[in-house]
Amino acid sequence: MIRGQIPILRIGPTLLATVHIELRDAVAEAFQADVLTTIEKTGATGLLIDISGLDMVDSYVARIVAETGRMAKLMGTSTVLVGMRPEVAATLIRMGYEMAGVKTALNVDDGLELLGHVLPTRSR
Amino acid sequence: VDHARMRQDDQAAMSDHRKYMRILKLDEAEIRSRRAFFKLTDEDLTRLAALRPFAEKVTDGIVEEFYALLLGHPDTLQFFGDDATIRRVKRTQREYFLQLFSGRCDAAYVEDRLRVGAAHERIGLAPKWYLGAYRQYLSLILDALHVELSSEEEIREAFRSIQRIVFFDVALAIDTYIAANLDAIGRHQAAIRELSTPVIRVYDRVLLLPLVGAIDSHRAHQVMESVLLNVVEAQAKCIIIDIAGVPVVDTRVADHLLKTTAAVRLLGAQTVLTGITAQVARTMVQLGVDVSTMHTVSRLSDGIELALGIVGKAITAIAPAAPAAPLVQAPPQGTGA
Repeated sequence: MIRGQIPILRIGPTLLATVHIELRDAVAEAFQADVLTTIEKTGATGLLIDISGLDMVDSYVARIVAETGRMAKLMGTSTVLVGMRPEVAATLIRMGYEMAGVKTALNVDDGLELLGHVLPTRSR
Repeated sequence: VDHARMRQDDQAAMSDHRKYMRILKLDEAEIRSRRAFFKLTDEDLTRLAALRPFAEKVTDGIVEEFYALLLGHPDTLQFFGDDATIRRVKRTQREYFLQLFSGRCDAAYVEDRLRVGAAHERIGLAPKWYLGAYRQYLSLILDALHVELSSEEEIREAFRSIQRIVFFDVALAIDTYIAANLDAIGRHQAAIRELSTPVIRVYDRVLLLPLVGAIDSHRAHQVMESVLLNVVEAQAKCIIIDIAGVPVVDTRVADHLLKTTAAVRLLGAQTVLTGITAQVARTMVQLGVDVSTMHTVSRLSDGIELALGIVGKAITAIAPAAPAAPLVQAPPQGTGA
């Protein structure tokens, strides 16, 4: 397993994982293990998975992400999928992959808001 | 002015028939294939070239008779204006007739035929008159052959070759009409595409897409694409899709809307469906369409309120409307947190 390829940052009670490389077999499994270990270590209540860097998400990756969310939920952590690109969303829907049960947000800001992570000042 | 316009028209026509050649893919291979199917052989072309003296002798008579038919029918008569026009088209017709006996059938010949077809299409002469006129042509040519040639065998062979090139020409003419229509349809589709998905920003992070007209799968595809792009670009938390202008909402349309909603959700935004009439509500339930994953309301104004609620805003009246207020200005309505 190639662990540590996808950085997982801690922001207060929330973890932010930014997926910037293609999640292929070994990498995906390592990512899943990394996320779960970090949750265990930190006791984070929220997990943001930022996929704005991916221009292609196949059913395998979609499944891994949904699965990771369900695993995190078992550990008491809510997951929000953040920043999906329009073409990625269109492709997933066309493949019949609606990712029901996975919470989504447009950007990290919205994701933090959805997790109830209060930001200090908002201009909006 | 007239002269300049005519030249402009000519130039337009010139580019038209080139465009049609492209649409019909009329290259050397296609011409060979057509000639093979119409059995228009080199032998036929040689025979036609040999008939050139015959053609030159009978052309005036045939063209006169030909126009007797066109000018004698009220529907075709209207295409010919004054005597000058008639003299001009008769001259063009003589050239056309003699070209049948030129002994060639190459790209230049085909291009010339398309130019003729495009000119007729442009003035709105329907294919039925075109075909009817060709019938007259063949009948006149056969009569002339009987007068000018002596042996039955010679007449039969000459007429067979003429038939082949005439039918070859007819196919090109009809194809020109079809190519012109395809071209027009393509232009209209492009125009419709541009008009079909106008996404309006109603408020900060709230978009509105009013759908007007029928939704086929092609357009539904575009709607989804445009909705997704706009949601991400505006970072919209909510997009209102108003279907009041969609005439028929059947299972397929509902399915497209549900897919769009699901895709919008993947981006992290929500969809509000408005403009659901009593008729549409009835159809949806009767068809067993489940739209419970979407926010749905009947009126657009309710949809806007719902959408503003999603971004944490609400419409409030800032002053009670006085019943006897002078009708100078409507009381301003504002949005506030």
